[in-house]
Amino acid sequence: MNIIFLTLGVSIAIALVFLAAFIWAAGKGQYDDLETPGHRMLLDDYDTDKKNQQAKEDTGK
Amino acid sequence: MTNTTATRENASGEVLPHSLCLHCGEALDSSNTIESNGKLFCCNGCRSVYELLGALGLDDYYSIREAQNILKTTPPADPASGEDYGYLDSGSFTDIYVKEEKPLTMNFYVEGIECAACLWLIEKIPGFVPEIESLSLNMSDNTATVNFTPAKKFSSFPEAIKKFGYKAHPLKNDEDVSGLKRRENRKSLIRLSIAAVCAGNIMLLSAAIYSGARGVFEEQFMLLNLILSLPVITYCSLPFYKSVLGSVRTGRATVDIPIVFVIFAGFFISAYNYLTGSPEVYFDSISMFVFLLLASRYFLRTVQERLNDREPLGKSLFSSNRVLVRDESARQFFYQPVESLLTGQKIKLAGGDRFPADGRLLSQWAEVNLSVLTGENIPRTVSKGEIVYAGSILDSDEAVLEVTGTGSSTRIGKILEEVEHNYRSKISLSTYSDRYATVFTLAVGIIAAVSFFAVSSYYGASEALERTIAFILISCPCAFVFVMPLSFGLFLKSASDNGILIKDARIFDKLPRVRNIFFDKTGTLTNGVYRILSWDTDKLPEPDRAAVLAIERESEHPVARTIVTYLSGEGLDIPEVAGFRHLYSKGVEGRAGGHLYSLTAESDESRPNEINEIIATRIVIRKDGEPISEILLGDSLKEDAKFVVTELKRRGYLLYILSGDKESNVRQVAYKLQIPAENAFSEETPEGKSEIVRERGRSMMIGDGLNDAGALSSSDVGVAIQGSVGESMKVSDAYILENDLFTILTLIDHGTVIRETVRRNTAFSITYNVAAGAFALMGFINPLAAAVLMPLSSVLLIASSLYGQNKTRTREGAARP
Repeated sequence: MNIIFLTLGVSIAIALVFLAAFIWAAGKGQYDDLETPGHRMLLDDYDTDKKNQQAKEDTGK
Repeated sequence: MTNTTATRENASGEVLPHSLCLHCGEALDSSNTIESNGKLFCCNGCRSVYELLGALGLDDYYSIREAQNILKTTPPADPASGEDYGYLDSGSFTDIYVKEEKPLTMNFYVEGIECAACLWLIEKIPGFVPEIESLSLNMSDNTATVNFTPAKKFSSFPEAIKKFGYKAHPLKNDEDVSGLKRRENRKSLIRLSIAAVCAGNIMLLSAAIYSGARGVFEEQFMLLNLILSLPVITYCSLPFYKSVLGSVRTGRATVDIPIVFVIFAGFFISAYNYLTGSPEVYFDSISMFVFLLLASRYFLRTVQERLNDREPLGKSLFSSNRVLVRDESARQFFYQPVESLLTGQKIKLAGGDRFPADGRLLSQWAEVNLSVLTGENIPRTVSKGEIVYAGSILDSDEAVLEVTGTGSSTRIGKILEEVEHNYRSKISLSTYSDRYATVFTLAVGIIAAVSFFAVSSYYGASEALERTIAFILISCPCAFVFVMPLSFGLFLKSASDNGILIKDARIFDKLPRVRNIFFDKTGTLTNGVYRILSWDTDKLPEPDRAAVLAIERESEHPVARTIVTYLSGEGLDIPEVAGFRHLYSKGVEGRAGGHLYSLTAESDESRPNEINEIIATRIVIRKDGEPISEILLGDSLKEDAKFVVTELKRRGYLLYILSGDKESNVRQVAYKLQIPAENAFSEETPEGKSEIVRERGRSMMIGDGLNDAGALSSSDVGVAIQGSVGESMKVSDAYILENDLFTILTLIDHGTVIRETVRRNTAFSITYNVAAGAFALMGFINPLAAAVLMPLSSVLLIASSLYGQNKTRTREGAARP
């Protein structure tokens, strides 16, 4: 039955790994803006041929 | 690109019917249609945005918008008009606004973001503006972080989005509040996650113990629980300790005191019991308690912050960033940032500018709009040598003044400081939960002490200690303290769905106590739009109308602007104007088409008139001295003003009008709304308004102008309504997003429902605590019972809060007329 202590140790270690990953992500600011990235993702379809977006020349600003 | 042409065809007719403006989706009729290359628009602004998007190959914008089911948007202003941002490029501004040097970054607040299409469009800007390297838009607080090329052309961003019909305001680079908030948010998220991991694992281990793990397992699991609860009672609970220290220093009770007491008592008793081998350990209950508490507070905070971010940027008084200052050595006027203005300097303003500082007028006379102090848009005449106040608007042509006070030493600056002070002392009042917790803690303390002695005389001291500890743990108002933030958060959300942004949940404490409701007049009870109520233009021949239009176009006076808008649609052939001048304090005159015309304001305002209209001014038009026509101008009551006022009176509130306007106008409003004349205050200064509100007490103030800011901050509940100036919004407790008064009733209804919820929760919490406390003292409560009872009571309270929130929703659907 001592195997329980091994599995217990492993499970807590895994939990700590995920906790560390979460803390890292929160610290990097990944949870700061929960709205915009959701929209941005859906807009990728409109930009499939980005190279054609050379509107820079069109305006000649 | 093929994709693009297809959508353009779509937009030009197949999908949208022709009777809608192609850009903004406004319905078109003959009066507002502009045609260009066979396409129809409602205004020049829409046309130029549409054509610009086409030229840039960005007309996917319309298909994105359609995909989001957004068919209408606010029509943009004509891009030719609007602010000139050239000043951003001058050296003195870069210091104030540049966020980072490398990469060169400036932050902007962007007005007019409505949907994902806006996001797409704005993030395309670096593609065609060479001065911008990259940019990212944050839709939750409408800010754009823009990286510029070393060319340092900061005006390029506002100029570029102006063409699309958005407006950008540069944000100052000082360690802004949002950055601090962001860091604080990340920290609490991390605290929450640690508490979640520890509490989760402790629960697992405890479940094993409760279901019969014994011997070495029980011992080791308990040790693990002890270790896992260490981060919970240290790092995760830090905010509670800080808050208790703070409340000890200020001598005020907060709800955090019993919380900390329970955390400490629970942990140390459990640790002691573990070491002495007794089974009475409460690590699971405590860590779960801390986790739930952190979670509910985090929820309330994020809801509140999201709402605060949604708050539109007020038209801040000092938003104009530069001013023409005379440099005596060069004998010329140069632009200088307003922040660096000094007393004694001479500044020049153009018609329509806002005075950035208090000053003595050096020009002969000027028409000055004092709406900032009075709330009224009709200008007053100021002569040479008199003082003009910062924040007022110059309505006549140019004016030169010598600065006598800047920033916080201006009259308005002092008012604002006072207002801020009021507001801060108001928000530091203790809350319902705090008072509840204080009474509760005292009661628990006394009962614990008494029962300890009572029990120990029967069963001995050690048994008495056990029971007393169990009693304290179980009767802590745990569920109550974390359900309160949760239900407040839910209510804030539901209020915001109904168009009310509530800054602070504490408003619900105070709403039920309100007896006196104060209304500002202009912009609150009335539309605040100065317009022509009656003018018999048919009797006025066309050349005369054209001459009137030509003359009034020269003036910045609100009356003139109203007349110009009124006549502009007629397509009149505008003659040349000669000899235009403002008549001192009365009106304007000028020569056009060979005749001398004058438009002057005449007194005599109290005439019988239609139900919703408030006549403020009568203008007489004279041609070569002969009166030929008259115009009545004024404001009108909001459509629902009568309904809302009647309803509020029916509910037993006392209503007041506080206005800076002339007595005759206020009297008209009071009469029409049947508010007693003694409750209608006219010609009040901002200081006076604030005083009246404070004297009456138990007050709710509803206003919009800066002159209301004082009253908003000294009332118990300050409500700013749509279109308010930034300073008023800042000191109000709630902000109404709709331009109607009906929402006031919604707000009051919300107050009633949350009071019911709070009462129900309180009653339940007391019942639960009395019952469970009694069981604990009788010795029936062990750790297992605590682990079951505590979450159970929380679930019941959460259900009660959700029930209350649903009630607001159904109430909403039925009430609107």
